[in-house]
Amino acid sequence: MVLFCLAMDKHREQILDKCIASTVVGFCRPTAWLVLLSTTYLSVESFGWSIGVAVLFGALTIATLLLILLLTYRAKTVPPVAVLLSLIVSISLVIR
Amino acid sequence: MKENFRQSMKWFHTWVGLIVGWVLFFMFLTGTLGYFYQEITRWMEPERPFIEHNISNERLLDIAQNYLSEHAQGVDEWDIMLPNARDQNLRVGWRKPPAAGAKRGKYQKTVLDISTGDKVDSRATGGGRLLYRMHYRLHYLPTKISYWLVGFCSMLMLLAVITGVVIHKKIFTDFFTFRAKKGLVGWLDIHNVLSVIALPFHFMITYSGLLFFLFTYMVLSSNLQLSDDEYSEMRKEIFPRTSHLESANEPKDMLKISHLYQQAKNTWQADELSYVEVFAANDINAQAQFVRHETDITYNPHDAVMVNAVTGEVIIQAPKEYTVSGMIHNGFFSLHEGQFAGPIARWIYFITGLIGTAMIASGLILWTTKRRPKQMKKLNGPDFGYRLVEQLNIGTIVGLPIAIAMYFYANRLLPIELSNRVNWEANVMFISWAILLLYPAFRPATKAWREQLQLAALVYMALPLVNILTTDKHIINSVLQQDWLLVAFDLSLFIIGACFAFSAYKYKTLTLDKKQLTKAAKARATKTKGVVVDKSLLPLQAMHRENS
Repeated sequence: MVLFCLAMDKHREQILDKCIASTVVGFCRPTAWLVLLSTTYLSVESFGWSIGVAVLFGALTIATLLLILLLTYRAKTVPPVAVLLSLIVSISLVIR
Repeated sequence: MKENFRQSMKWFHTWVGLIVGWVLFFMFLTGTLGYFYQEITRWMEPERPFIEHNISNERLLDIAQNYLSEHAQGVDEWDIMLPNARDQNLRVGWRKPPAAGAKRGKYQKTVLDISTGDKVDSRATGGGRLLYRMHYRLHYLPTKISYWLVGFCSMLMLLAVITGVVIHKKIFTDFFTFRAKKGLVGWLDIHNVLSVIALPFHFMITYSGLLFFLFTYMVLSSNLQLSDDEYSEMRKEIFPRTSHLESANEPKDMLKISHLYQQAKNTWQADELSYVEVFAANDINAQAQFVRHETDITYNPHDAVMVNAVTGEVIIQAPKEYTVSGMIHNGFFSLHEGQFAGPIARWIYFITGLIGTAMIASGLILWTTKRRPKQMKKLNGPDFGYRLVEQLNIGTIVGLPIAIAMYFYANRLLPIELSNRVNWEANVMFISWAILLLYPAFRPATKAWREQLQLAALVYMALPLVNILTTDKHIINSVLQQDWLLVAFDLSLFIIGACFAFSAYKYKTLTLDKKQLTKAAKARATKTKGVVVDKSLLPLQAMHRENS
């Protein structure tokens, strides 16, 4: 359970500010903040306030690192990777 | 004076980074490894048995109790540490009575073999613990001096982190920018990226790191303001101790610890024991405290359950009195050390620590990269300062990882009966580091970088092989026994070696590209356009064939 939760935090974050397409830009930022907030909520719910926040920061760090590396070297894969990861995340949410 | 605030901050950031950069690199690397110190120790003591699957906590407690009753009678406190994700062996420990003239006795820790119930003798090694100690105590230096040196470097790091944020004008707009180009732009971007993505961590780790030796650094403050009594009161608040009854010297049989464990299971509604502390064993005042893995970085009173070992009742009051300052203190230390971290969080800590290490390394490399064009044009070659920095960079950024691998090699290859084996393992590490620091003085910089990277790759990838040849706890056996901790260790060594190999390869192609381009440019410059275009390509192709 706990393991799936962490997977969640990391992956949810991938759908963030940097939109590769340019049509729905207006929606991106608010959605990104919503996703970030829901990730925070999930993390705190699983681990409690103290550890949850610490783990959240850690997961954000790793997620950002992955995102930046992907952007630099394989920018085109970011949208499909993001979609795939959020699917994995939603499924694991449903399972638990 | 610099023209404006940002420029003077930039100057400051560069200087504080440069002065202590290499010590900080050492601290970051040993500290990052320290997150896995128990795992490292386990790998470095290959005499320890493999993990035992499917064994109940109760049976482990019985084995431990048998051993302790036989070998540790009459001591104040028994510790029983159950196998967990970080250390797959059952361990017991107790503090021996003090020798004549000493205040506290030595602490004795033993690994127990589950199948025989007997202790396991492992080779004398500092293990991961020694590496992790070097993180704050350095080595070869008296402890007090190390604390001051480490504190000085950490303070400068804190200043570097803060000034770094100040000078990074476009911290939000450039959040995801990483232009992977050669030279200054690439190194600057990666330095910024690594710093920003882990900024909460960097700030937390530096600040909490400074808090560890607070009473050393702020000694004037506490001495001037507090009397001796007030000082010990304050320390009790910040570092609360477990309160328990002393032995009454009246022997009485206590219940089996495995039975008492049922009480803890009832409180926790789960079977998640981490370790047990037994006070005044086999005495009328015997108590047992069952502790599980931390669920809060400050304090959760339900993490520990104290039981009267003779009657089996739960003792209701909390064994530790936690005050606000105690909780703040514990919170910071927990964060820094990652005490609460389960396997995934621990890997996150490790990777983030590596990010911090890479941040320092990229900053150091950035310094030389920025100054290289001007330095290389100087008449008598580059300045002494520049050459010193380049040499220290090569020797530390690649040399220190090699030296740490040498520490592991020493663990496997030094004779077991060698006296002072613990010291010699560390000596091997520092001797190799010294050699690697001196060696770049005798080679041109590009060659030195490439050769050390290749050496690092070789050294790390060969280590699992040496493991196969010297012990039976190698990767093949570990996979068969499903002892994933040992598998992960050998695999990580190999992956690190592969990363170095990749860097060596990339470095080679980058430096060769430059030569090819300049030669081709010269060839084109000396000929006219048009007809000769094809001919100018020939030398380039020839060179390419030679080098690939």
